[in-house]
Amino acid sequence: MEFNIIKLNKVNFFYGQVRALTDISMKFEKNKVTALIGPSGCGKSTLLRLLNRMNDLIDGTRVEGEIIFENKNIYAPDVDPVEIRRKIGMVFQKPNPFPKTIYNNISYGPKLTGIGFEDRDALVERSLKQAVLWDEVKDILNKSAMNLSGGQQQRLCIARALAMKPDVLLMDEPTSALDPISTAKIEELIDELKKDYTIIIVTHNMQQAARISDETAFFYLGNMIEYNKTDKIFTNPDVKQTEDYITGRFG
Amino acid sequence: MEEKKHTSSHYELELQEIKSNLIYLGALTEKAIHLAMQSLTGRDTEMANKVIANDYEIDKMDKEIEEKCITILALRQPTAIDLRFITTAIKITGHLERIGDMAVNIAEKAVQLNEEAQLKAYIDLPHMSSIVEEMVAKSLDSMIKRDLGIAEEVRQIEQVVDDLNEQIFRELLTFMMEDAKSIHRALLIMHISKNLERVADHAQGIADMVTYMITGENVRHFNKGNGHKET
Repeated sequence: MEFNIIKLNKVNFFYGQVRALTDISMKFEKNKVTALIGPSGCGKSTLLRLLNRMNDLIDGTRVEGEIIFENKNIYAPDVDPVEIRRKIGMVFQKPNPFPKTIYNNISYGPKLTGIGFEDRDALVERSLKQAVLWDEVKDILNKSAMNLSGGQQQRLCIARALAMKPDVLLMDEPTSALDPISTAKIEELIDELKKDYTIIIVTHNMQQAARISDETAFFYLGNMIEYNKTDKIFTNPDVKQTEDYITGRFG
Repeated sequence: MEEKKHTSSHYELELQEIKSNLIYLGALTEKAIHLAMQSLTGRDTEMANKVIANDYEIDKMDKEIEEKCITILALRQPTAIDLRFITTAIKITGHLERIGDMAVNIAEKAVQLNEEAQLKAYIDLPHMSSIVEEMVAKSLDSMIKRDLGIAEEVRQIEQVVDDLNEQIFRELLTFMMEDAKSIHRALLIMHISKNLERVADHAQGIADMVTYMITGENVRHFNKGNGHKET
């Protein structure tokens, strides 16, 4: 059965006087990979950051409309953004492990928030296995995470996000700083992870969106131009603007 | 429909090149059919041999177009209309190459027929041939203009060619029944008629692919109850 995990109702977003998103209404399906694509400045990363209230951290921003998650507007006054960010995790463009051991990178969050009462060793192992990193690091868990390769660091960041047992994983260009092999590993991982998580990914790499996502939304100048099944978008999009963009006839 | 140009002018050029190569290949095959038929009606064996010899040019062009398409698939990873154009181009070049083969078949039969006394005046065959040549021209026209209407026209005409083929077949049967000595020549003419009918099938195949290219909808095999069978 299809089930929407996050629902946006007429969302507008402003950086000061500048409107970055206009009347966005869309739904994200559970256990699906949704890709957000569009040229720089189209609002896709802004939208991604809205989904776990990361934009709260920027001064002078304002949100209108509703983002419903677990039957509740995540921007309601009584909602704790930290709790939202636990359930809706994020992985960034550049791998950003803590300057700690591999083990502590994973266990730090759960320890801090007091979740994951299960055996901490088991949690570390499970998270690293889910991120398909366990076999590569199981003998060096007490070494610094900074010694890992870029691709390994990014998978560590994914493992770190998974350790918080989120429902949704937001990824902002997670492979743009990685080589093709590391990229392929992350893409493979995303495919694996969607069994248990809902993944929303921002990518500039159109082929990546085509390869890994089930649904694709195309944004331009703060508007959502088309939201469709990925194979439809890449073979026969409904909107001319989408076609111009994905075929490289833009600007 | 006017397309915006690609940001990459080189890519734009590559796609244009495939289009003009297809037009050139189309012209070659149309001419081959026309000359093959002329070699029959004009009893011109020399011309027939020329058609047979020139087929290598059609084959060469077909290969060239296909290679260009594969290169674009590999290097440009086309999407949407570009992807549909490239896949269509690969199919169209295949159809055109087969049309070239049909011209060779016709020319070969003409060579044999020209060695014997003419069985009958050729009336229906040249008529059929002119319809078929027009179909090929129109199918390519529909690609260049991205015109669904012209593609649909091609599909409509195809039925006329089928009917003509049937009619020629029946007529030749009576010849064969009347005089056993006519069987060999009648069979050769039947082959020619059948070859023309297959050219029409290929033209329809091109039109179907053009429809797919424009709409994204696959209309192949929906137009005929018995499908396209190559015999």
